[in-house]
Amino acid sequence: MKHYISYAALGAALMAQPVFAQDVTLQFWDNQQTESGLSDVQKAAVDRFMAENPDIAIEVTTIPYPEYQQRLLTAVQGGNAPDIATLDQIWLGAFAEAKAVVDLSDRAAEAGLTRDQFFGGAWDSAVYEDALYGMPFNVDVWQFSFFNQDLLDAAGVSSADLSTFEGLRAAAEKMTGDGKFGVGLFGHAGEDTVAVMNSFIFSNGGEVLASDGSCALNQPEAVEALAYVQDLAQFAPNGILSASSGDMRELFLNGSLAIEFWPALEQPTLKSSEINWGFVNGTAPEGKTPVGTFGGWNLAMFESSEHKDAAWRFMQFLVSEEVNGDVVDLIPANTNAAETFLAANREGPDQIMAHLNNAKPRPLSARYLEIADVQMRLYQDVLSGTNAQEAADTACGEIDAIN
Amino acid sequence: MKRSKTLRILSVVGLLIIGLIVLLPFFWMISVSLKPATEPFAIPARLWPESPTLANYASAFRPEFRTYFLNSMIVSGASVVITVSLALFAAYSFTRGQLFALSFMLGAVVLAQMFPHAAIIIPIYKMMRSWDLLNSYTSLILSYVSITLPVAIWMLRGFLVKLPVSLEEAAAVDGASPMRVFRDIVVPLARPGIISVAVYVLIITWQEFLFALSFTSTNDMRTLPVGLNDFIGQYGIRYGELMASSVMVSMPVVAVFFFLQRYFVAGLTAGAVKG
Amino acid sequence: MTYKDRWLAWLFLAPTLVLLAVFLYYPMIGTFVESFYSTSFINPNPEFVGFEVYRKIIASREFSEVLWNSVLWTVGAVILQNILGFSTAMLLNQGLPGQGLLRALFLLPFILPGVVTAILWRFMYDPQLGLVNSLVVRLSDAENAVAWLASADTAMIAVIFTAVWKGFPFSMLIYLAALQSVDREQLEAATIDGAGPFRKLIDVIIPSVSSVILVNIVLTLILTFNYFDIIWIMTRGGPQDSTHIFPTIIYETGFGQFRFGEAATYGVFSILVLSVLVALYAIVQRTTSNRRATS
Repeated sequence: MKHYISYAALGAALMAQPVFAQDVTLQFWDNQQTESGLSDVQKAAVDRFMAENPDIAIEVTTIPYPEYQQRLLTAVQGGNAPDIATLDQIWLGAFAEAKAVVDLSDRAAEAGLTRDQFFGGAWDSAVYEDALYGMPFNVDVWQFSFFNQDLLDAAGVSSADLSTFEGLRAAAEKMTGDGKFGVGLFGHAGEDTVAVMNSFIFSNGGEVLASDGSCALNQPEAVEALAYVQDLAQFAPNGILSASSGDMRELFLNGSLAIEFWPALEQPTLKSSEINWGFVNGTAPEGKTPVGTFGGWNLAMFESSEHKDAAWRFMQFLVSEEVNGDVVDLIPANTNAAETFLAANREGPDQIMAHLNNAKPRPLSARYLEIADVQMRLYQDVLSGTNAQEAADTACGEIDAIN
Repeated sequence: MKRSKTLRILSVVGLLIIGLIVLLPFFWMISVSLKPATEPFAIPARLWPESPTLANYASAFRPEFRTYFLNSMIVSGASVVITVSLALFAAYSFTRGQLFALSFMLGAVVLAQMFPHAAIIIPIYKMMRSWDLLNSYTSLILSYVSITLPVAIWMLRGFLVKLPVSLEEAAAVDGASPMRVFRDIVVPLARPGIISVAVYVLIITWQEFLFALSFTSTNDMRTLPVGLNDFIGQYGIRYGELMASSVMVSMPVVAVFFFLQRYFVAGLTAGAVKG
Repeated sequence: MTYKDRWLAWLFLAPTLVLLAVFLYYPMIGTFVESFYSTSFINPNPEFVGFEVYRKIIASREFSEVLWNSVLWTVGAVILQNILGFSTAMLLNQGLPGQGLLRALFLLPFILPGVVTAILWRFMYDPQLGLVNSLVVRLSDAENAVAWLASADTAMIAVIFTAVWKGFPFSMLIYLAALQSVDREQLEAATIDGAGPFRKLIDVIIPSVSSVILVNIVLTLILTFNYFDIIWIMTRGGPQDSTHIFPTIIYETGFGQFRFGEAATYGVFSILVLSVLVALYAIVQRTTSNRRATS
């Protein structure tokens, strides 16, 4: 008798398996990056998913960047996390270590999702201690050196000059004066500062952390790059220690800034402006290729989700080649989708592609945010004139104490 | 006589300087809010945009913005009513209770004012979560009442201390119950104090940011200060729309304040003098 | 309310006590307990570590900076706000024409939401686009404007100025009201004795509003010390941590870097430091008023 009951239960369970017993509603949180009108396209994609999967409803919440981190953190702490959220690459380590997000390695392998379908750096940023905790969603790279063609012409500078350390310095010097500024360095305490400074270090062959995890910022390559930027800062507008990349935008748009460092995301804003602009892929010493800093977002599924299978279906949908380009405003992390997206939406797609494939991620650590805090202080110290080697030694002391 | 004339002239000059410092930022705020998004910022700053437009107001007054506005009104309104009532009860006890324990309690109330909000927000979040109150008006109202109560009590207590006890005693001798005395004598007499506390609570809750940010998760529950944050993206601020919204956000409080400032001054005076 | 109505006193007080106990005291005690544990987001099983976190924080470079900044920010803003508030109240208390309108206009900054104030002033201070520097450049021969928020030397001054701009109307209101309670006869007697405006201020006005000054300073001390919005939005505690104060470091450590235990410890320090400030002020105030009474 007992057996019959359990067989019946098993049968019922099997019957219920292929179709969901009842409709589920998934909470999806996303960063609200720009007001690019993306939400309409995104909404269309979500509607399409719901049409194809009538048993799943999706509720999308977009949150501006400055509040996103706190929102997620309080939600996870309070046991109220969404089912799926986009996580900044630099947060993923902490969420993985905290066991707040689900290990997706098996699901991804089963679904045939592999590293070669995505930008390598994006995939790696979702890997923590050999397990995959997120699906790469979108990417971008800091920095592209955007320039004001008219100011370059007036100073007789060729845009190719901007690609080398020496050329950039000479160009910046020529274009500074008369209320104009050569180069829009910025140094407020934010990730954009870290990304740009890292890129100078990476391009000079330096690293933030060495392969053994110890701080490498006080190694010669990094210190050299820091000293270079310190010198370059004399051609920047006043007050870079409180300036963000966004503050520099207004200066670039009113024609008083010759060169500015941004990700490719800045292109739509520039396209709608009156400025005659162009860009090159970052800056490196003569003979080396510029190396950018990877940025972007991964999709993560939260442990607290009660609808993991449904969530996984939605995540696969979002990163698929046909959809990925419609739901991001950075660059799709899916390389095929990225090619289509760049060709349709960005100037110089091949150039961007090359820079993306060459970019390095920021340290993949659960305590990245603490490391970044020390880095910000280091970069501010250097930009305000502290000796680069001394500042870097102090910073490395603090970073090595964290690990 | 001559000296007092120079004094008056100096006073006027002093007031004009202070007035300039106070008002210039407001002028600038309005100026930026009227600048078309396509007009680049000039260096040095232009005091007035070349071709002023109301476009920023139009785009800032989105449907969400109206929702935020309504939410702010509900949350602030309820907080004002509840805080004022509770503070009035409490302040009355503190001034008329004649209990030794009360002075200890009063100390505890003042101490509570010193707690840093950033340090207590996660425990409060967890409580709200366990009561299933997250993303609700109730969660915000409860927090706002709690954080504004200490100062509200302090202000009202100062006001009630000044009221003559003789009226209440006379009424009690005439056989009025304590509740009646409170309702018919204390409340009407304390009205200026009540209004000033109401304005204080309105100003604080209308601009509260941290709790609103943490406890609301969907667009239809957000309040204005959090909504304003939407104009600050990961890589920059849209100044024109932000300033336009700021002007609109400030409007209701300014209006209320101008109508009630006479009472507010009176109430604060009492609170301060007898504090 | 009389002695036999004490039940009513407790009844009236009950909702307040419950709310404060649940929403302020319970979380704060929780924070206090947490400060003895190694709690962080990435460490779900915190261990009891005693004063370890306290030791770590005291030894850090940030702690002494934050302590110094907090004192500077609080004392600076409180003194300036009260001086400006008092002076404005004096100026507005002379029966000059149009002073009602001025009083109303002067209150505007107090009403402006903190988030908006901070963004507005951040933009005002912008070295290229801001109004402050455009005036400096236009009115003087200065070639380059000052980057107020971008230098560790000037950032604190700049944020204090903003805080004073926003906070002084509150002090002004209270002083204005207090000044109206100054005894007219005493003032007239002083005038007859030949006392100038300054002597009248020292001998008559200040002594008769001294209790208001005391309360006003304690209140602004507490509100300023815990004020988060302005500094967070204007500088995020920078540059080079030169404006990091207790509320911003608590927020940044907890929410920005996921280190809840350390944030809790900073929270406890924060209350200690604020209490010391309030106590110090009370002592100073008492000794000076005693001296005045005996002299």
